[in-house]
Order: sequence, then structure tokens, then C-alpha cells
Amino acid sequence: MILQESISTAIDAIRANFLRSFLTAIAIIIGTASVIAMVGIGSSAQKAIDDSITNASARTLSVYPSRARGTQKINSTPLVIKDADALIKDKEIQWRVSPEIRGSKSLKYGNESITISVTGARENYFDIQGYEINHGVFFNGRDDLARKRVAVIGSAVGTELKTSSEALVGKEVNLGGVTFKIIGVINSEGVSGWSNPDDQIYIPLLTASDRVFGRDRVDSIRVEVPNLHSPEEAMISIERVLRREHDIGPGEENNFRIHDWSQFTDLQRQATAIFSALIIGIAGISLLVGGIGVMNIMLVSVTERTREIGLRKALGATEKAILFQFIIEAVTLCIIGGVAGVLLGSFLYFIITLFQDWPFAIPFSAIFGSVTFSACIGLFFGIWPARKAAQLEPAVALRYE
Amino acid sequence: MSLIKAEGITKQYLLGNQTVDALRGISFDINQGEFIAIMGPSGSGKSTLMNIIGCLDTPTQGKYFLNQQEVSTFKGDELAKIRNKEIGFVFQTFHLLARNTALDNVMLPLKYAGFDKAKQMKRAKSVLLQVGLESRMEHQPSELSGGQQQRVAIARALVNKPSILFADEPTGNLDSQTGNEVIKLFKDLHDQGQTIILITHENEIASIAQRTIFIKDGLIESDTQNK
Repeated sequence: MILQESISTAIDAIRANFLRSFLTAIAIIIGTASVIAMVGIGSSAQKAIDDSITNASARTLSVYPSRARGTQKINSTPLVIKDADALIKDKEIQWRVSPEIRGSKSLKYGNESITISVTGARENYFDIQGYEINHGVFFNGRDDLARKRVAVIGSAVGTELKTSSEALVGKEVNLGGVTFKIIGVINSEGVSGWSNPDDQIYIPLLTASDRVFGRDRVDSIRVEVPNLHSPEEAMISIERVLRREHDIGPGEENNFRIHDWSQFTDLQRQATAIFSALIIGIAGISLLVGGIGVMNIMLVSVTERTREIGLRKALGATEKAILFQFIIEAVTLCIIGGVAGVLLGSFLYFIITLFQDWPFAIPFSAIFGSVTFSACIGLFFGIWPARKAAQLEPAVALRYE
Repeated sequence: MSLIKAEGITKQYLLGNQTVDALRGISFDINQGEFIAIMGPSGSGKSTLMNIIGCLDTPTQGKYFLNQQEVSTFKGDELAKIRNKEIGFVFQTFHLLARNTALDNVMLPLKYAGFDKAKQMKRAKSVLLQVGLESRMEHQPSELSGGQQQRVAIARALVNKPSILFADEPTGNLDSQTGNEVIKLFKDLHDQGQTIILITHENEIASIAQRTIFIKDGLIESDTQNK
């Protein structure tokens, strides 16, 4: 009851000096708003990174041919489909292996013609990537072995051909001079990294190799390593197989490289975390400055209301009651600032998620934490002015001009 | 037994590095139900005496008993408790909280006394009725006339049933007509048995009291019963 009374007294006092209270609270508002916005952005970015790892229970290793030092030319020993098959056949490697051929071809449908990124892959490619079928079907292993001219397209391809991707299912298109039948459309995936799966066409690996690109050289071999296995051991196994396939003698350098993409995401995650921590640190300084402002305004308030304090004491207010009243006032001011900051920060973050196409997810702990922290700032910086108020001599305070 | 007993009260202040003797040995008794005027020119020590009788301050030397309690040995919150329970203050400048209604102002001492809200309301309303302000309870001080504001202040002083009603120049900020109304209210309260101490410099107002104590240079110059 006393608390409720004190809070309503505090709100009255804040309202009576609204402009001053608002200006004081600005630093608190900015501080909390940046904490909320940054934590939100941080968690969204984290989520985006997490989502880009196709399967959370596995890491993906990619094998690339290495370039000869100092040149842009592909090394004379490329990666070929046979290398992938050797990896699949090896007893130690029991994981999914996905050789991929990539290139760019023209795609014609009716009178429309566009240039499109082509990925030639096996049927497991879609599952490894986490792509889901939206219309029609994916191609399967038999399509691949038969070098069938079938294709799956991204959801945005239809629009570029002045039709819709759904409408293209069952239709024939011309890809680099070869007629293909569209058999499926994948769900819209959104941009991930620097590629957009929605803009691409996917065809069986052997079809790509024999009918479209005319090469058995692959651009990469993806190996999906379940988290149970250490990626380092997996790398050693892959290295062993490929060195054997490529006839690399002891002491000679590898002519391929194995890239651990999850290391990259780890780095990205770390960078985001460091960035967030930095901004939150700055926000903390803002809150501290805000707290000093609150202390300043509370000191002014105590001086201004010396007669009121004297009167309250004359009517029987104990030191504790006065102390409590002014601390509550400082804390209330900071909590109002904190809540306003949370709203402002959430709003800013919401705007950013709209532009970035991110999920909107502020952790409750951030809201709770930043409001609590503001309250603590109020408590900490309110104590001194409140003590000053509580220790005023009633006889002197009553006559203060 | 007397309600108030003052024995050889002195008060010294330090002004810069100079000691000022505001009170230089004052003794008197006040009985239950008395109406007393304290008079004296400014600088006489009248205000200092008022602070000590009102338990806003303690004497440098001497003993001060209120209801047989030696208040002169009390400190801080003990004094706050005495002020809350035993003394009702009425000030020249009313000292109402500007942002609170008349009712809230009157409830304030009861809040510090720790009564529950229902009891605070009930008592405050009955006292406001007593001072004739039942229709103005929800008004803020700025919406009340000077006389009405002073009656709110009197209601606030009375609400916790104090032993002493203490008024410091209560008519000083009022025109003579409303001043007279307030004085009449004091008289009525006295007739109902309330002990009242009135500080004033106007003879006319002092004359309604039963007894006048005149202070000069920190000493009691005269202590007379009025007719």
C-alpha cells in the first residue's frame, strides 16, 4: 500500500515536471533502446547464420580443387566425378557426398531468354541443402543415371521468364541448347550468402556433365559430416582418399583444399557477438550518463521541494519514509525511461527486420534485463539525493525560501 | 499533571564562528485544554521556542516534557513519531501539497501513522466535515480560497487527534474577515477541549486566548492570564 502510494506520488512529481523529466530520461531511453535493438539484431543475425547451416546436426565440408600459386588457372589435377565416387565407396566415409557442377547457361522459354546459374547435382543435394519441393517432384537417382533432361527450378525463375514457376512445371525449356522438362519447383529460400537459390536451375549431375557442360570436372564436392564425428577426422579421411586418387606422393602438397564452412559461420557468429557486445557497452555508458542525469535532477528536485520535505517531516514522516519516496521517484523515472526505451528499441529493430527479411525475436531476458538495469541505475543514483532529502532538518526545511 | 513542562530551556546556534543565544532559560507549564498565545517581536526567540515545543528541534540545555515523556532526549525518527501523534501544525503559509486534493492533504498524517486507506479516508472526511469543507474535498489547493486552504490545513492538523494544536501566525496570510472565521474555528475547537498554542504578534488575536506568554531576548518577559 505504501509502495503504491509512493509510486503514484512519484508519477505525480514526474508529470508536474514533464519536460524536465523527459529530458532527463532521454539518455536512459537511448541506452535501453540501443540494448534492445542490438540484442534483437544480434539474435536475428545469429538465427540467420544458424539457418544457413542446412542441417543443425551436421557440418558441411567442401572440397575444392586448389589453384596453382600465383595464377588464376585451375590446377592441372581437377576434381572429377570419379573422386566423389571414390569418397562414397570408402569404408571410413559413411556420410553423404554431393559432387556439384556449376555454370551459367542461357535459358529459353517461348520468346523469353535469360542467363541462369545451373547446378548439376545428385538427388541428395536438395536434402543436404534443406530445400523443399513446392510443386512437382525432385529428380531422383535413376534420372541421374539415365542422364534425363529434367530440371528443378527456383521459385523466382518463372517470373524472370514472364510467367510463374508453378506454371512452368511440365513444360519444356531450352537450357544451353538442350531441351529440358521442368519437373519441380523448390520453396522460396531467400538469399543466403552470395547466392540466391531461388534464381537457379537444378539438373541431374550426369546430365550436366554429359549433355550441358561436357566435362566430368566438378566444381566442388560437399561432404556432410554428422556432429558425432569430429570434422578434423573427417578431413583426414577425405584427404587420404583424394591423395590416393590423385596419386600424390609423400611430402607433396595437396592439389585440393577442404573447407569447413561451419568454421566460417563460427567466425561470423563471433563477429556478430563482438559487435553486439560493443554496442551494448556503449549503451551501458549511455545508461550510466543517464543515471548521472537522474541524480542531478533528483538533487534539483530535493532542493526545490525542501519545504515540502519539511512539511512531510513536520507531519510525522520518518527519514525512511522520505528516503523511500525519493528513491521510488528516481527508480520510477528510470523504469519509465527503460520501458520507453524498450518500445523505441523494439520499434527500430522491427523496422530493421522488415528491411532485412529477418524474424522478429527479442529475447524476453533482454527486455527484463534492460528494464531491471534501468531500475538499478535509478536506485543507485537516487540514493544520494534521497539521503540528502531524508536528512534535512525539519525546522530549517520548513522555512526554506 | 501538566501536558507540557519546560524546564530551563536554552538554545544556542552557531552563526559562522559566533554563538547566538536564541533562548536563555525558559520554563513554563501548560495544562490540558489551555488556549495559549505566544507573542514577541521578531528575533525574540519566539520561532526557536515554537520549534522546540513543536518537536521540530531539541533544546541545547534544559528539559522538555510532553505527556510525561522527556522529548528533549529524543532524536530523529522518535521526534517524527511524536510530531505525528501529539502535535498538529497550522502554518502561516498553509503548506498544503499543491498537487494533492484537500482530502489527500488531510490524509497525509494518517498515512505516516500507518493507518489503512479506508480508515484514513473515513477520518479525513469527518474532520473536513468538522471544518465545513465537505463539499470541497476533491479540490486542489489552487481551487480553494485562502480561508478554505487554511481550514484544510487545520483539518490536517486535527486528523490524528493531537494533544496540542500548534498554530504559527495562522491568520497572517488572510484578510481580516476570513482571519476572524479561522479564529472562531480555533475558539470552537478550544471549547471542545482542544489544547491550542497560538503564535502571533497581533494583540487582537492573542486576546482570544486564555493566557499570553510574551518572549523577549530569549526570555519570558510576561506570562499572564487574560480575562
